[in-house]
Amino acid sequence: MIQLSGVSKEYRVGPVKVTALADVSFGIEKGEFTVLAGPSGSGKTTLLRLLYRDEMPTEGEIRVAGYDVTRLRRSKIPQLRRAIGVVFQDAKLLPGRTVYENVAFVLRVLGAPRREMTARVMQVLKAVGLSARAQALPAQLSLGEQQRAALARALVKEPALLLADEPTGNLDEAIAEEILDLLKEIWSRGTTILLATHRATLADQLKRRTLVLHRGRLLKDED
Amino acid sequence: MLTFVISEALSNLRRGGRVAVSAVLLITLSLAALGAFWVLSLNLGRAVGEWRDRLRIVVYLREEPPPAALGEFLQTVEAVGGVQRLRYVSKAEALRTLRQQLGGQASPVEQLPTNPLPPSVEITPSPEASTPEGTRALIQRLSALAEVEEVQGGTEWVEWLAQLQGLLQVIGLAVGAVLALAAILTVTTATTLVLHARREEMEIMRLVGASEMVIRLPLFLQGLAQGLVGAAVAVGGLGLAYRFALPTLEPLLAVTLGLPRAAFFSPAEIALLLSGGAVLGAVGGLMAKGGRAA
Ligand SMILES: Nc1ncnc2c1ncn2[C@@H]1O[C@H](COP(=O)(O)OP(=O)(O)OP(=O)(O)O)[C@@H](O)[C@H]1O
Ligand SMILES: [Mg+2]
Repeated sequence: MIQLSGVSKEYRVGPVKVTALADVSFGIEKGEFTVLAGPSGSGKTTLLRLLYRDEMPTEGEIRVAGYDVTRLRRSKIPQLRRAIGVVFQDAKLLPGRTVYENVAFVLRVLGAPRREMTARVMQVLKAVGLSARAQALPAQLSLGEQQRAALARALVKEPALLLADEPTGNLDEAIAEEILDLLKEIWSRGTTILLATHRATLADQLKRRTLVLHRGRLLKDED
Repeated sequence: MLTFVISEALSNLRRGGRVAVSAVLLITLSLAALGAFWVLSLNLGRAVGEWRDRLRIVVYLREEPPPAALGEFLQTVEAVGGVQRLRYVSKAEALRTLRQQLGGQASPVEQLPTNPLPPSVEITPSPEASTPEGTRALIQRLSALAEVEEVQGGTEWVEWLAQLQGLLQVIGLAVGAVLALAAILTVTTATTLVLHARREEMEIMRLVGASEMVIRLPLFLQGLAQGLVGAAVAVGGLGLAYRFALPTLEPLLAVTLGLPRAAFFSPAEIALLLSGGAVLGAVGGLMAKGGRAA
């Protein structure tokens, strides 16, 4: 599902070069649940952004969901992104739209048939436990509910791969636990998941394969 | 997908607010200016054409050539070159025409002891000789003939009219171009504002894999709609002005330019103006920068 070989990423800030990733190689099989751990600034977000071609690596090869990401033509980027769901620390919901509309927005933008729309949106809202809040605006939701809505939005197009960048970062323990349970449930239905977090405890507690980044280098890769 | 794109474009227009309205106004102004000069020049152009058609050179002769020599004389005239058609008008015919023109007031003419009118040859210059220079040269060649008393005719004022028409076109184009540029920039500003207001939305669209077409098309359509509305208002305004001015304008035109009817744009020309507005708006919409490209 994911294959990185010799991937490096340098950001240039004026005259200064920042090495965010250095010679990173690893592979993730279809159906895996993998944790990407590492302290703040170790390059986790950068790595995820390379996967959905939000950034280009300075060096190395990346394959995701059958796409040769580094050589992907600009016009093919949308196809790659349709295969990938992404959630962030903040839910990034559109404030003027209800939960239902936020999720349906994706289907409208991707040109899904209108007939299927309501059923698909309600189904995914049910899966994340938000059926009752479909008509609420993001501001009326708790942080945990907002993150659930963000997950619903990422999942409604049925991506093969879900990238979660610190999805529990804004949540307290109990609610974070609920979101992690939800991720596991999503994974158990067949979605490959890569979860980035700087909380070592969280990585341990999940008991999943963990990739550890430190200053842009892959330290260990353990099951 | 299409309904999404269209509803997006419509709500973009609402969000564009006052800037979108001024964009439409500027498009209206630029096309109205362009159109007004165009209508004027259109009518002048028709007058020029008509007068060029009617252009005659009249060669007055010292005396009537003897009937036997008439054919030969006309051949000499034709031989100077640049003559398309010519017609001999005898003294008698000239008098008949004058009587007809005078109608009821012809009695003073009846009382003339002799016919004072000179015989003449009416010449229609060939197209090559219809230019100002060509006509001048033709008149010179005709004046050189021994039998010729005087040559009348010329194109000076028709040419003056043609130059005025050219000038109007240039002014119209210049004013229209400046306003069109301003209109494009305003549409661009309006669209950029929309992009700014929508950057979260565009970010999500790109993230979930919307095609660039779906992202850009609403902006394009929004610009297009602004342009079309602006152009329609401009054409409508010009049409109204034309309607109202017509009763006073037409007699004036008839007297000064000899045009029986004033002309407005043909449907094809209206379509051209409308598409001009659409292009202005669409270009403005496409030029907007803001939503970060993938
Ligand atoms: N757009 C950018 N321009 C310049 N430098 C950047 C950019 N994005 C990240 N960096 C730098 O790259 C390094 C890795 O950043 P990154 O955001 O990937 O780390 P992270 O592991 O996600 O950290 P955190 O846990 O705080 O989110 C950091 O030194 C950061 O300052
Ligand atoms: Mg990060």
